[in-house]
Amino acid sequence: MSVIVVDGLTKRFGDFAAVDGVSFEVPAGQLVAVLGPNGAGKTTTLEMLEGFLAPTSGTARVLGADPHRGDRRWRARIGLVLQSTSLDAELTIRDTLTVFAGLYPAPRPVGEVLELVDLAEDAETRVGALSGGQRRRVDVAIGIIGRPEVLFLDEPTTGLDPEARRRAWTAVQNLTTTGTTVVLTTHYIDEADHLANRLILLAGGHVVTDTTPEALRSQGGPPTIRYRLPDAAPVGDLPATLSPYVDRNARTLVVRADDPTGPLRDLLRWADRHRLDLSMLEVGPPSLEDAYLAAIGEPPASEGAS
Amino acid sequence: MTATTRAGTPRMPSVGRLFAAQIGYQARLLASGRAITIGIGLPVILLIASHGNHARSSAAGFAGWAAFGLTLTAWNTYGVRLVAAREAGVLKRWRATPLPRWCYFLGRIAATVVVAVVAGAATVAAGVLLYHTHLTVGDVLGALVAFVFGAFAWAATATAVTALIPTVEAAAPTFLLIYFPVILVSGIFGSISEPHWLSAIASYLPAQPLVHAVAAALGHTAGHPLLPARDLVVLAAWAIAGLAVAVATFRWEPHRPTQRRAARAPRPAGPTGPSPQSANSGRESGRAGDDVQADPGSAGPLACRERTPPRGARALPAGPLAVRHRVDHPLCHTRGYPLDSPLVTVDQLG
Repeated sequence: MSVIVVDGLTKRFGDFAAVDGVSFEVPAGQLVAVLGPNGAGKTTTLEMLEGFLAPTSGTARVLGADPHRGDRRWRARIGLVLQSTSLDAELTIRDTLTVFAGLYPAPRPVGEVLELVDLAEDAETRVGALSGGQRRRVDVAIGIIGRPEVLFLDEPTTGLDPEARRRAWTAVQNLTTTGTTVVLTTHYIDEADHLANRLILLAGGHVVTDTTPEALRSQGGPPTIRYRLPDAAPVGDLPATLSPYVDRNARTLVVRADDPTGPLRDLLRWADRHRLDLSMLEVGPPSLEDAYLAAIGEPPASEGAS
Repeated sequence: MTATTRAGTPRMPSVGRLFAAQIGYQARLLASGRAITIGIGLPVILLIASHGNHARSSAAGFAGWAAFGLTLTAWNTYGVRLVAAREAGVLKRWRATPLPRWCYFLGRIAATVVVAVVAGAATVAAGVLLYHTHLTVGDVLGALVAFVFGAFAWAATATAVTALIPTVEAAAPTFLLIYFPVILVSGIFGSISEPHWLSAIASYLPAQPLVHAVAAALGHTAGHPLLPARDLVVLAAWAIAGLAVAVATFRWEPHRPTQRRAARAPRPAGPTGPSPQSANSGRESGRAGDDVQADPGSAGPLACRERTPPRGARALPAGPLAVRHRVDHPLCHTRGYPLDSPLVTVDQLG
């Protein structure tokens, strides 16, 4: 059974279509990352699913209901973390969570939620005194305290330091083990790769690709040769097949080729001739980031190509 | 499956309990903020400072200071905090919870009434201690009723006014600009000589009837009604009208500037993936996109865009080696290569 069904969802602001004919379904228990550049329509899509915005056309169903008309009982089954932190600053974390827990029919115990988001030691700290990362985790705590069946996370880790991001990820992963369906928007390709078992790429309000991280990576284009040139390297003497691909300022050679054998042979021959240190040479597979950039660089006409 | 069983069995908390809890929560927020100290502190300081002023030493005389503390809380403190909460997204967050919206809306107003009445009562208590005034239980109850009417009128009207205030920065100046003229013509700081027409207007504003009603209750003598009905009617009218306008115009979401975004320029197809030209067109549309405000994260430092090649850059010759430009934002490089990735230009080709 699909927990979320979106069909031809469109939101216009005047002449501008922020979301333009988006369709997808999310089965129960899936963790979906909605990825895309700024202005792609991620937040607008999410806000229609959360019930904040009514679509201009198309339909959205979350747990079988129209989110914009979702009643109190429906809202008790939904959890969300908004794009920006939105907390009253005056009370402690524990008091704040206790108040929110009181809104739900079967909330998680406050102590359990504090553990889940790794804030148990700061429970008696006023929200206003917390760091940005800690506040973000309070947002997540409020999002999950009602045992939501569907959780919407809008860029939950933007602005967090790497360690705080890892902690937030762990909290989200802990949730999915309980069967919660999660829809997350993010700028971070590694976040999507780490957390999600499905990626929906939006660009210009369209679904560009709807795929898995593995499948997207395989679209990432050719393998890459990368060589940080030693200071002594006589760049002017590079073979003509390689010289166009040198960034002289960064003193780096980057070559992408479907078959890297030829350029690699040329490079090795040149390096051997000048007795250059090859410890800074890398030859690697396409990255998910490259695949992502290739995908969103395509015109919307390729929608559904995956 | 789990969805239906989970939603079906546990009962939703009762609305009455939710409303009471919300009043308690909002009252705690209001009382723990520093702003509330002004509603209690300032009138008491003024009361002490005016010690010896004969006109101010009677029970009726300190009704003005009590109304001052009450209105500071129910108008300025409440109104500014409401705008701040809206702009910070706090209201939006609450709207998405299972709490009925009216519970939040009225809970906030009711909590303000409670705290504002406490502020007014604290000033009266300070006056009683300072001047050894004798008050009957009836006087005190009458004053409390007047306080409740007054606090409700001011808080409801403040709620209506928040719809006109787009930013937190504009909140305090707007509320104060309305507040001071009203309380000055209403005799809160003592009677001023003002033209008759101005007193007539003041008697229909919510400050003078409040002072008048509190003074009547505190200085009550036998044979007179405890509370002047006309004043209570004026206050009730402000409360009802304020509430009606507030319900019709209330905003839950932060204010955002209007969307101004040009349509994306079509990307010309390059010979090998995104070419320098397409990178250029991406930049153009990126510039247009800088005006977009609907997505709060849109314009700004998080944009992942292709780096603009310098003037004169041209497409690489199509060949077996496909070279693509790299984006120039650190967040796009959480996986992959460091920031100093190459950008091929004509100079380098030459």
